[in-house]
Amino acid sequence: MSSTRFRLAGAALALMLGALTACTAGESVDVDGADSSGSGGILNAAIGGEPDQLDPHKTSAYYSFQVLENVYDTLVEPDANLDMQPSLATEWTTSDDQLVWTFTIREGVTFSDGSPLTSEDVVYSYNRIISEKLNAAYKFTTVKSVTAPDPTTVVITLTAPTPNLLANLGGFKGVAIVQKTNVESGAVTTKPVGSGPFAVGSYTSGDTIKLVRNDNYWSDKPKLDGVTFTFVKDPTVALQNLRGGEVHWTDNLPPQQVPALRDADGLTVRSVPSSDYWYLALNQARKPYDDVKVRRAVAFALDREAITKAAKFGLATVNQTAIPRNSAFYYDYAPFQRDPGQARQLLDQAGVSGLTMDLMVTSEYPETVTAAQVIAAQLKEVGITVKIRTLDFGQWLDEQGKGNFDSFMLGWLGNIDPDEFYYAQHHSGGTFNFHKYRNPTVDRLLDQARTETDQAARKRQYDQVAKQIVDDASYIYLYNPDVVQGWSPQVSGYEVRTDRAIRFRDVALAK
Amino acid sequence: MARFVIRRLLQSGAVLLGVTLVVFLLLQLVPGDPVRVALGTRFDPQTYEALRARAGLDRPLVVQYFSYLGRALTGDLGVSFRSGRPVTSIVLERLPATLSLAVTAVVFAMLVAFPLGILSAMRSGSLLDHAARVFSQFGVSVPDFWMGIMGILLFAGVLGWLPPSGYVALTEDPLRWASHVVLPAATVGLVTASILTRFIRSSMLEVLSEDYVRTAEAKGLRTRVVVLRHVLRNALIPVVTVVAVQLASLLGGVIVIEVLFAWPGIGRLTYDAVQARDYPVLQGAILLVAALFLLVNLLVDMLYARLDPRITAR
Repeated sequence: MSSTRFRLAGAALALMLGALTACTAGESVDVDGADSSGSGGILNAAIGGEPDQLDPHKTSAYYSFQVLENVYDTLVEPDANLDMQPSLATEWTTSDDQLVWTFTIREGVTFSDGSPLTSEDVVYSYNRIISEKLNAAYKFTTVKSVTAPDPTTVVITLTAPTPNLLANLGGFKGVAIVQKTNVESGAVTTKPVGSGPFAVGSYTSGDTIKLVRNDNYWSDKPKLDGVTFTFVKDPTVALQNLRGGEVHWTDNLPPQQVPALRDADGLTVRSVPSSDYWYLALNQARKPYDDVKVRRAVAFALDREAITKAAKFGLATVNQTAIPRNSAFYYDYAPFQRDPGQARQLLDQAGVSGLTMDLMVTSEYPETVTAAQVIAAQLKEVGITVKIRTLDFGQWLDEQGKGNFDSFMLGWLGNIDPDEFYYAQHHSGGTFNFHKYRNPTVDRLLDQARTETDQAARKRQYDQVAKQIVDDASYIYLYNPDVVQGWSPQVSGYEVRTDRAIRFRDVALAK
Repeated sequence: MARFVIRRLLQSGAVLLGVTLVVFLLLQLVPGDPVRVALGTRFDPQTYEALRARAGLDRPLVVQYFSYLGRALTGDLGVSFRSGRPVTSIVLERLPATLSLAVTAVVFAMLVAFPLGILSAMRSGSLLDHAARVFSQFGVSVPDFWMGIMGILLFAGVLGWLPPSGYVALTEDPLRWASHVVLPAATVGLVTASILTRFIRSSMLEVLSEDYVRTAEAKGLRTRVVVLRHVLRNALIPVVTVVAVQLASLLGGVIVIEVLFAWPGIGRLTYDAVQARDYPVLQGAILLVAALFLLVNLLVDMLYARLDPRITAR
């Protein structure tokens, strides 16, 4: 009897061990020797987390776009200065009333599986985003129709002039041109097919995404045979991988070590100022933050240099407006210098004393948690007691959506056109105006600038917008962070981009 | 025996049913909206409603639960909110990594804990005993993520013997799998070994003071025989329970260690699913862990009868 029992136990154990060997973690593709002509090697890149999915129209995760940047194309794409350049579209014309844009699609472009990419694919992609109300739908609010009169022509008809249409159609890979059969089969979530320099070879959930060179690529063939993305959440571990040679490139470096790493041998660490910005927002639907004096008092109480040093270890540029210094739309304006006396005076004028302010931050972005400590200490000096609430991102977003906060700190990433920097955040009807800012002058200017086709006039309008927003302390802008990335000396041809796009198409790997 | 197994399996089914209900209800209480998390900060009411409908979250809770349960019975655990992929395959993909880490860690722990626990019980009060107690105190009190980072800095950084993180499937390349599993398994195993050492030591000490041990010694049996045949066998019963509980909890995934070492197991899946409020994946992962737990317990109960004939599986 007892031996029967034991056999049963043994069988169950064998079953478990069987599962161990039988379930291989996804398919793996032999990417070595995929093509003998290149012999450019496989670049190993460590990113800080795993993409949620690889459908460019459905993901909102930066990790996904790090991968997809190399897989997909858009009609136009930003160059190093974020000016839009031809990509799938070779040229375009605009009607006199600015309502009809006609794009010429590059001839001979194919998807990585060899099937042709034509104007029909562009129409399909844009209509998919618009009709299914996917994430990038807000970029198409003025688009009335998208048509393809012939295989190399796309006509976009607008309801209102849209000077930033090119930025909307090329700013990021969330508006990429996808393949209809790939989408309809559902394969797009794990094995997307694009026309970019690389194609997805295999995706092992939780572990790696392997890209292989797209030999059908329409422009200069990539030098690398492929790129393997691994997901390393801990920056110390990512750095160790880079040092040990397991990884050739990472953007997940421990910020406190970056200054030392810059001077270290055996690694290349580069940074550029990004177009991202981080800010503090006060809830103007609540008293006393509806009073501009109180908001300005907070702005005067802050020492941005100290906040930046603590939150980013100096890897950021202090800025009192949103748009960074290297942009054509930068507006040099910095009315707030730390002045506790002035802050206290403003609070007195507003009749506010003994104020306790709730500050909502999220562990998803640790810099907000660190910055909050410094902000709390600085506001304490002018008599404002800050209660810091650290939430995980799901909860944080919930509270933000419900308006359950006195103040919060967060950042906006990946904006290019000034409309993206200001409209949704500061227009009284803006979708991201969670802090309930309302100024009719700003509303009017934003509506006007949105359709202004004269670039100089547009710049003047946005300068006015920026000044008013800063004066009203709608957002209290803090800094533009740097994009910091590191790679091994074997890697050449890589450039850190201000929009955080990770492009490996011109990169080579020395043996 | 067969009746015992069948009855236990039926009980397990009822427990699993309970687990689905409790998990489902608990998830409703968790603050944070999965749709908002999926959309990030770029929140647009229209996009929000469209995604909510696609994920089936606009249906009444009762409908959501029973449609989930109905499909779960056929092995279909639903579709991930985030990736749109079937949960069953997502969860099963992660099982080998966690299984191999858990089994390696427990084997490592037993290799350390058995000699240490036995020797320190037999030479109670000796220098070795003190050293063993310091070791186990260290293991249970120092956080595992810290030990993990120290391990990476030392063995991957300074010495360069082992890769700092990552995973290679056992079936793909056993040698590279081994080099990757050593650090995380040793980190997890160290904690388990500490707990086991203390348990083996105290369990041995208890048996050593039993009358039958004195009798065995009195009849002139050699110490080796007394320890192996009389003491260890009797001391094993509670130890087996502890080993099993440890193994079962490791099978649930060691969240911190898996995240730290970029180990694509159940723990890391659970972590990501919580962050993203990906309820279907979370439910699937918890269900799988619960099933493994029940299975391990069943095996242990059967093992008891083998170790001690006085216990019969009924």
